[in-house]
Amino acid sequence: MAKPIIRIHDIAKDEIIDREMTESEFKVYEADQKITLAKKAQDDAKQNAKTALLDRLGITAEEARLLLS
Amino acid sequence: MAKQTFTTGQVLTAAQMTSLQQTAMLGGAASAKTASYTLVAADAGTAISMSNAGATTITVNTALFAAGDTVQITNLGAGVCTITAGTATVNTSASLALAQYESGTLDFTSTSSAIFIKGAGAVASAAKSYTLINTGGTSLSGSSTQISSLSGYNYLFVHIDSATVNAGANIRFRMNADTGSNYYAASGDGDTNAMTFVSTTGGSASTVTEHFINIDAANSTGVKPFWYSALPAGGATSSGAGYYGGTSVVSSFTAIASAGSFTGGTIKIYGAN
Repeated sequence: MAKPIIRIHDIAKDEIIDREMTESEFKVYEADQKITLAKKAQDDAKQNAKTALLDRLGITAEEARLLLS
Repeated sequence: MAKQTFTTGQVLTAAQMTSLQQTAMLGGAASAKTASYTLVAADAGTAISMSNAGATTITVNTALFAAGDTVQITNLGAGVCTITAGTATVNTSASLALAQYESGTLDFTSTSSAIFIKGAGAVASAAKSYTLINTGGTSLSGSSTQISSLSGYNYLFVHIDSATVNAGANIRFRMNADTGSNYYAASGDGDTNAMTFVSTTGGSASTVTEHFINIDAANSTGVKPFWYSALPAGGATSSGAGYYGGTSVVSSFTAIASAGSFTGGTIKIYGAN
């Protein structure tokens, strides 16, 4: 399976290279993807919990903000 | 006049006397260079001028000079000229980078070590002037786009214009491709191995219409404070400050799509000293 492409612009040589990630770059990329997915799951869970709480209280997000201001 | 050893009974020529007088009066013509240059022993006691529109280096190696030798270096070109330690050690209390019309003196304390004493460079230091380093800008492409060979600038200003990434994705940046936990910011995603901008807007793609980052002390070995501001299309502005804690000078800047690839946008990097 092809690895993702990265672009490198070396301004000293004024040379732009588009190439596949090396093995070590791909490992960093995979680690980044895990962090991104974990963060997204965390954000989604937080948002779902907020929505569920607002539903239980029977108020909108706008009304909740008004209460806390 | 290059440093030389005179012998007993030697008769000095008029040209030698004139050159010695010029050196004593801190005058005389500088040896003009137009490309990166490595100092040689004959440069001891002389002045060197550099003139190039692009970045250049003056490399200092060991076992060529003696304690007490000096070499004066003046940068006449628009490109930054950086004094670079080759095999010798070069210390300074200021910067090793000479902007246009700045000058400094290498003062050797031993055969392998020199101190670079930078002059005031009154005009250049009074007005910080940014120039575009990657001429015309670089189109964002792939899962990341890196601008390399940035060394020599104390101040960097990054403008990412109309970057487009997958819906739900963010834009992250790294300096020197450093994946260590060296990024600290007042906001962001809490991940310290890169700095992340909130750019998600939903829909089929996320576009950050304007995106600015200032990086300070980029050519130092200390921390590099940065300030950023991002305006997602249809989203709220994300802005804040922080610092990059890596100890190397900033030689590359990478913009990373947190998922998928960039499908549009341009990155421009400006540098100043």
